[in-house]
Amino acid sequence: MGETAQEPLVHIQDFRMDFGDTTVIRDLSFDVHAGETFGFLGSNGSGKTTTLRALLGIYRPTAGTLHIGGKVFEPRDGASLGYLPEERGLYKKEHVLDVMVYFGRLKGLSKATARSWSEDYLERVGLAGKAKTRLDKLSSGQQQKVQLGVTIMNNPGLLILDEPTKGFDPVNRRLLMDIIEEHKRAGATVIMVTHQMEEVERLCDRVILLKDGVSRAYGTVEEVQEEFGGTVYRVTHDGPLPASALFDVVSQENGRAELSPRPGATEESVLLALVDAGAGIRSFTPARISLDEIFIQVYGEQHELAEG
Amino acid sequence: MKSSSRFTANSMNWRKAEMAMGQHNLGTVISFEFFRTIKKRGFVIATLALPVILVLIFALVYASNASTKDTAAAQKSARFAFTYTDASGIIVPAAAKLAGGTVAGDPAAAIAAVKDGTSEAYFAYPADPAKESVKVYGADKGMFENDKYQAVAKELLAVSAQNQVGSPELTAALTGAVKFDSQTFKDGSVAPGVGGIIPPLLFLVVFYISMILLSNQMLNSTLEEKENRVTEMILTTLNPTTLITGKIISLFAVGLVQILVFLAPVGLAYLFFRDRLALPEVDLSSLVFEPGPMITGALLTLGGFTVFTGVLVAIGAIMPTAKEAGTVFGPLVAMMFIPFYTFSLIISNPGALIVQIFTYFPLTAPVTALLRNGFGTLNPVEATIVVVELFVVGTLILRLAVHLFRYGSIEYGRKLSIAGTFRRNELAAK
Ligand SMILES: Nc1ncnc2c1ncn2[C@@H]1O[C@H](COP(=O)(O)OP(=O)(O)OP(=O)(O)O)[C@@H](O)[C@H]1O
Ligand SMILES: [Mg+2]
Repeated sequence: MGETAQEPLVHIQDFRMDFGDTTVIRDLSFDVHAGETFGFLGSNGSGKTTTLRALLGIYRPTAGTLHIGGKVFEPRDGASLGYLPEERGLYKKEHVLDVMVYFGRLKGLSKATARSWSEDYLERVGLAGKAKTRLDKLSSGQQQKVQLGVTIMNNPGLLILDEPTKGFDPVNRRLLMDIIEEHKRAGATVIMVTHQMEEVERLCDRVILLKDGVSRAYGTVEEVQEEFGGTVYRVTHDGPLPASALFDVVSQENGRAELSPRPGATEESVLLALVDAGAGIRSFTPARISLDEIFIQVYGEQHELAEG
Repeated sequence: MKSSSRFTANSMNWRKAEMAMGQHNLGTVISFEFFRTIKKRGFVIATLALPVILVLIFALVYASNASTKDTAAAQKSARFAFTYTDASGIIVPAAAKLAGGTVAGDPAAAIAAVKDGTSEAYFAYPADPAKESVKVYGADKGMFENDKYQAVAKELLAVSAQNQVGSPELTAALTGAVKFDSQTFKDGSVAPGVGGIIPPLLFLVVFYISMILLSNQMLNSTLEEKENRVTEMILTTLNPTTLITGKIISLFAVGLVQILVFLAPVGLAYLFFRDRLALPEVDLSSLVFEPGPMITGALLTLGGFTVFTGVLVAIGAIMPTAKEAGTVFGPLVAMMFIPFYTFSLIISNPGALIVQIFTYFPLTAPVTALLRNGFGTLNPVEATIVVVELFVVGTLILRLAVHLFRYGSIEYGRKLSIAGTFRRNELAAK
């Protein structure tokens, strides 16, 4: 009753997860607001899937609060949830349409609605001819499309997608991004795990970066870029780049480099230092740091830095 | 695609979808599981194979065996010495003598003679056979032989009555209404009639048939979700209790369909060709359906079912693949047959330690208790304890199975540590 529009739809507070003696997630807190598209980022094994599973009650959290809509998730809320698990799988020996209708029914659709919705969906993703085919006779990308269909059936208000574009070719990846975007525009809240930064830049309002079970960055894409230095300098050069107290070399190959200024450094001071050192500068462009670079910056760090 | 308003403007709408989802989902699960099972080609073949074989056997028997007359006819004319008393005056002494009978002077002495084995049988025809039953006493000759006493007593009454009435049809009508009470004696005490043993033992048959038909599917019921990695989708859509309940109910329905298909040819053969087949003539009227053993039998069967279903589903929840689950399956099936090793003890000496252990150990209890119930050596107190135990243990194991599925099945490809699922709970509870 006391809820306000600002109350987050997903609220995670001080979440900790141990498997045996290993702590996989520690003190993780973040919110996802209704209607936003949230990017859940992190390197392999950083704990994204574990967090989503704990949020959905598949794992029991060791400690902390994980709420959806102000309470712990229960399967009966599943009708409003579209979850695409990282471990894909459906009843392989059944027909595509039967499986879709089954899940549609479980999500509260009538048989007729589930059926016609599924047929429309299969038509759209180019599987109209496969409705009566057994799932294990489909290619893995085709199976993925069916699974995505099951996920977005009944237009769930909350979509939780664990690497949705995994295994899709570029054309189908585009199709999938379009579908997610439609749901986003229709007002659905989307949480997606992805390793594709261009997807994040295209779709996500806010992101969290997880590393080894700890949040390393959290906020809007701009805020995160700001936090990681905000700007970089893209340079092309003929000579060797000097080591300098003014900047770090983020990347460097074939005469192109990205430099990240250290605190206190300005465009002029960096450029001057380069020219003075005889780096043979041919162009010098200040730009926003890309998420890719942030990602590499965060995950390229040594372990001891993670503790600092 | 139009989006619903849930989760969107206001998270308060989140719970709107709850409704009576549980009930609705149970029905959905049952029908999905049921129809996809019976539509499988393998299932259809397996289910139809047995009746086809039965029909073939019937056909062979029909062709080669049309000449054999039924055993009841042989029993009617069985010859043995017996004594009788006739208060009705219907029995024609000549006919009785022809059949091997002599009149007994004192009924009590005649019964005593049967008991101690000096006389083979004694029939007491009452004054009014239409109202009182004919008492038949015989020396125990084994379950199937024992029917001959009643057959002869009945035949003698029929022959005598026909003599007096002069019309076979009338006689048949008359003797059909006469009730016979048979008692056979073994070592001086009453031996249970076969009619009293068979009906409660039918539950044992029901138990075995249903376990044979269903156990493998029970074992595999949750394995499929695991092997196909569909558990996560299921666990976020459906209460695991609903899923497992739905699966078990659909399995029962599938088993019922199989039993009906199996029985169909038997029933048809019985209806249309019973005269031509050398089927053992089971006189249904001689079966005694005592309510006590029958109710106990039904409860033991259901309880045994619950226990085995729970164990099988739990094993399915622990094991990552069907192949690994199969290794536990053999010993479990053995548990269902082991009590037969002590068959003679179960009948003769139910107090023996091994029989007691088998009676109360949950996995051997159903078969042991059903056997003892059939042979009348399970007293009501023991019956109550076993029935209650089976239901309680069965329910607990089923709940454990749901728990294991809920928190264990996500560990694809790994055997589940039961302790692990609980340790996680404890931590979460802190
Ligand atoms: N069931 C489990 N038992 C033990 N350890 C686990 C279990 N599930 C995950 N882990 C561990 O938890 C850590 C985080 O795994 P998780 O799957 O959440 O990573 P992720 O961020 O989703 O990685 P990826 O990008 O590769 O999918 C890993 O080190 C993994 O080994
Ligand atoms: Mg993952």
